[in-house]
Amino acid sequence: MFSLYKKELQSFFFSPFAYVLTALFMLIFSFAFISSIASIDSNTLKFSFPNIFYDNFFFFIFIIPILTMRSFADERKGGTEVLLLTSPLSVGKIVLAKFLSILTVFAVMMIATLFFPIYTSFNGQVMWSSLICAYLGFFLWGMVCIAVGMLLSSLTGNAIIAAILGEIIMEGTLLVDQIGGTALVNAYPNLNSAISWISMQRRFVFFSQGMFRLEDFIFFLSATAVVICWNIIAIEKRRWSHS
Amino acid sequence: MVEIKNLSKYYGRNPAVKGIDFEIRDNEILGFLGPNGAGKSTTMNIIAGYLPSTGGTVTVNGFDITEQASEAKKCIGYLPEIPPVYPDMRVEEYLNFVAGLKGVPRAERKKQVEDSMEKLHITDMRRRLIRNLSKGYKQRVGFAQALLGNPKILILDEPTVGLDPSQVMEVRNLILELGKDHSVIFSSHILAEVSAVCERVVIINKGEIMAIDTIENLEKNMTADTVLNLTADGDKDKIIRLLKDIRGVNAVSEVKEISENRNLYQIELKEEAVRNEIMSVLLNNQCSIVEMNLAKLNLEQVFMKIIQEKKKSSLEELIEETNNSNPYDEEV
Repeated sequence: MFSLYKKELQSFFFSPFAYVLTALFMLIFSFAFISSIASIDSNTLKFSFPNIFYDNFFFFIFIIPILTMRSFADERKGGTEVLLLTSPLSVGKIVLAKFLSILTVFAVMMIATLFFPIYTSFNGQVMWSSLICAYLGFFLWGMVCIAVGMLLSSLTGNAIIAAILGEIIMEGTLLVDQIGGTALVNAYPNLNSAISWISMQRRFVFFSQGMFRLEDFIFFLSATAVVICWNIIAIEKRRWSHS
Repeated sequence: MVEIKNLSKYYGRNPAVKGIDFEIRDNEILGFLGPNGAGKSTTMNIIAGYLPSTGGTVTVNGFDITEQASEAKKCIGYLPEIPPVYPDMRVEEYLNFVAGLKGVPRAERKKQVEDSMEKLHITDMRRRLIRNLSKGYKQRVGFAQALLGNPKILILDEPTVGLDPSQVMEVRNLILELGKDHSVIFSSHILAEVSAVCERVVIINKGEIMAIDTIENLEKNMTADTVLNLTADGDKDKIIRLLKDIRGVNAVSEVKEISENRNLYQIELKEEAVRNEIMSVLLNNQCSIVEMNLAKLNLEQVFMKIIQEKKKSSLEELIEETNNSNPYDEEV
């Protein structure tokens, strides 16, 4: 399993792919950083980075489907899926190895953005506790998105379609939150609580405020697990009905 | 070593393989022969554990390929029709990766990769990106990959496609070499290749096994009624008439013009002794014999004949079913 993980990581880092995406991620972060610096008023004592994540989800999440789009689509297209599926590795381990490698790339991208808070801490004060919490929350949310993106890549078998569908679904999850905020939904408390239960953005709010709730943590982990299992089943299913 | 029992595979409602049985013995090279779309690749994919079967079992070295997949897959080296290579990797890097994937211990990895590269003569290419290799070299990298992990069973799906003639010879020799201590099943639609390398062949068509036998037996069985190739000078019609009048001649089946006034006839005889009479009859009628020899059907003809006979028998069944009294004409 480790060889597959290593090979996947190499395919990211031995090509411009990971570097271009990391640069894009940092670019978005720096724009957000500049605009929040600009809107600071004189009463601010500590600079709070979580807002950067919170205000720019739309752009951050855009990157994840690009990271995951090739994971299974390219294997299917190049005929290398045969190699993986006839190796002694089980499908579960194959999916897990690929998932972990993409997660590693995502972690590296996030670590790169630490440059901004560290730089800020030299010239001012940073709320590290809430920042760490926000990073953790964003990492967990990214984890779910990566699992979803991989599932799409495996279902569609086409990298471009997987990426576009991924964008739609991930922006859709943001839209759920928008709908949850309307007066219509607020009129029905049950519907509202259902939406806030599945809305990942609302769960992230707690992380960005520096609150670590076990409930949210479990939610992200279990959502990831469910999607990964779905992926394993989807691959097995396709083998059975292969044509 | 590998036992295939009542194996069937349906793609939706379309049968690809219909209940086939055969086995691959220890250290034998088994040829898997059939026209395109016969179910060769499907069967090999199932044996290698890539596709699950619809029915039946495949046992590899005592392990069931679906129940004990991991153990079974460790005994198999598989080269699919399209070599499963990553275009963005270098040859050595790729082979190292596959060795790791197959669970080769780290200490042995380097040696195994070197050995397999040497066997396939790709050591010079170790630093090259696979994307820049020619089709023949990609095929060899795919082959080298199948040898990693020292599997006891090698499944090779058309291993010589895309290679030039000298490379084909090399690969054939390699298969013969590997056959000494591996069980090899290898598919092809080129019959010469199969007869050059294999001891036994399985002939498959439309998902059904047509024949399983050694090459000698297949050739022998197919020439049960003696066939004589005769090249003679003289009027074509006259010779055919003369030949047909001889007692013991079943049919004069094929005539090919070689040059003006010289033709090749294929004569089916009841027994070999009729030869003498043919000779004397022709000589008495001023027809000179240029060449005469007993025909031995080659594998290609055996193959065509088997497929034709199956077609014929299924046609006969159809005719019987519809109560039509007109029997199928014997002459093909």
